[in-house]
Amino acid sequence: MADWSGYMTLILQGALVTAQLTVMGAALALVMAFVAGLGRLSRFAALRALAVVYIEFFRGTSIFVQLFWVYFVLPFAGITLDPLAAGVMALGLNVGAYGAEVVRGAVLSVPRDQYEACIAVNLTRMQRMRHVILPQALPLMLPTFGNNAIELLKATAVVSLISLTDMTFQAQVVRAQTGSTLIPFAMILGLYFLMSLAISGGMRWLERRVTRGLDGVR
Amino acid sequence: MTAPIIRIDSIRKSFGTHTVLDNLSFDVMPGEKLALIGPSGSGKTTILRILMTLETINGGHIEVCGEQLYHMQRKGREVPADEAHLHHMRRHIGMVFQHFNLFPHKSVLENITLAPVLTKGEARPMAEKRARDLLDMVGLADKAGHMPAQLSGGQKQRVAIARALALQPRIMLFDEVTSALDPELVEEVLLVMKRLAAETDMTMLLVTHEMGFAHEFADRVLFFDKGHIIEQGPPDHIFSNPTHERTQTFLRKIIAAGHRV
Repeated sequence: MADWSGYMTLILQGALVTAQLTVMGAALALVMAFVAGLGRLSRFAALRALAVVYIEFFRGTSIFVQLFWVYFVLPFAGITLDPLAAGVMALGLNVGAYGAEVVRGAVLSVPRDQYEACIAVNLTRMQRMRHVILPQALPLMLPTFGNNAIELLKATAVVSLISLTDMTFQAQVVRAQTGSTLIPFAMILGLYFLMSLAISGGMRWLERRVTRGLDGVR
Repeated sequence: MTAPIIRIDSIRKSFGTHTVLDNLSFDVMPGEKLALIGPSGSGKTTILRILMTLETINGGHIEVCGEQLYHMQRKGREVPADEAHLHHMRRHIGMVFQHFNLFPHKSVLENITLAPVLTKGEARPMAEKRARDLLDMVGLADKAGHMPAQLSGGQKQRVAIARALALQPRIMLFDEVTSALDPELVEEVLLVMKRLAAETDMTMLLVTHEMGFAHEFADRVLFFDKGHIIEQGPPDHIFSNPTHERTQTFLRKIIAAGHRV
C-alpha cells in the first residue's frame, strides 16, 4: 500500500500553487479588466482601438495557446518568465479580456441621468467616474466577476502543461506512482469545489457590502 | 442700465433632421424670474439643457455672466469651447431635474457636499455645515443621514434643490421639477421655490406646466411654440390677456386639463 499521507501532502502543495495562481491571476485580471474596459470607453480613439485589439485577441484565442506563447515563444523575443509568472500572465490577460467587457457593460448601464447630474454639479470627467459612475457600476460587475474568478480557478489546470506543479499536475504524479486514479482525482475534485465555494462566498459578501444602502434603487 | 446675465443670440438646435430651435434670441436680466411655458415639444426644456451644457447648439451664441458659453478666444480667433471652458462656465449655473437625479449611493448629506468639496475644494466641515443649513431651509433637517431611496418624491426634489444651491450658482434652472411628483407632494416643492424666489437675488429660469405657480413666481413669462417665442410679458398679461391666438388656445387646453391658472 502506498504512503498516502505523503501523496496527500503532495496534492495539498499543489493546491497551494493553484490558490496562488488564482489569486495572482485574478489580481492581474482585475487590473486588466478596468484598464481595458475603461479604455474602450475612452474619448481617445487610439486608446479605444488598443483596448479592442487586446480584448478581441485574448477572448478569441485559446488560453492553452496563449500559455504556450507566453512560456515557450516569448523567450525567443528575449523575455523569459518562470512558470509561475508565465501562468499568472496568461491567466490574468485571458480572464481580464472577459472582465473588460463586464466593466464596460456595467459602466454603460448607469443611467444617463447620473451623468447629467454630474455635469450639473460641475464634476470633472475623472470625478464623475470615480465618485458617481463606478460606485454604481461596481455592484453590477460583481456577480459576473465571481463567475470569471471561478472560471479562472478552473483554467489554472492548464498550467500543468508548462511543468508548473499545481493541483492537477500533482494528481497526475500521484496517479502515475500509485496507479490509482480515483483517490487523487476525487481529492482534487473536492479541493477545486471548496475553492470555488470560497470564491462565491467571498463575492456574495462583497456584493452585500457594496450594495449597502442601495436597496430599492434598482 | 445693467447688462443681461444671459444673452441668447440667434441660436439653432436640431436633433438629426428635426429642428427644435431656430434663430431664437432672448435676454435674461440678473435676478429675473422667468417662466417658460408652452406645449410639449416646443423647445423649452431644450433651452435649459443647452444652458446647462447638456446639449450643444448648432449655431448662434450664448453669453452667460459676460462670457461666451459655447465659444472661446484662442489666438484672437473664436473657437468652440473645450471641456475646460465649459467647466469654468458651469460654476455660474445650477439645475434641478424633473426626475431629481440624486446620487443613489450617497446619503442626503453627501449628495449635497460632494460637489462643493470636489469642485470648489471646500473643507468638509464647512460644506457639511452649509449642507445642513440648506436642508433646514428646504425643511429636511432630519433627513441628512438618509439614503435617497428612503425619501418621497417631494423630499428627493427638495434635496436636489439643496444640492444645486450648495454650489451657490448665480443662475438656477428648474426643469419641470414637479411633473414627476404625486399631486399631494407638489405643494411642498413649490413652497421651497417660492421662498427661494423671495429671499435670493438668483436668476431663475423655470419650465413648468403649473400655470398657477408660474403666475405667482415669474416676473416675465415666455410662451413657446415650435421653438419660437410667440408671446412674452408679465404674468398678468400672459395669463389674463394673451394677445396671440396660440397662447389663448394653449391656456384653454391647460385649464380644461384641470390645471389652475
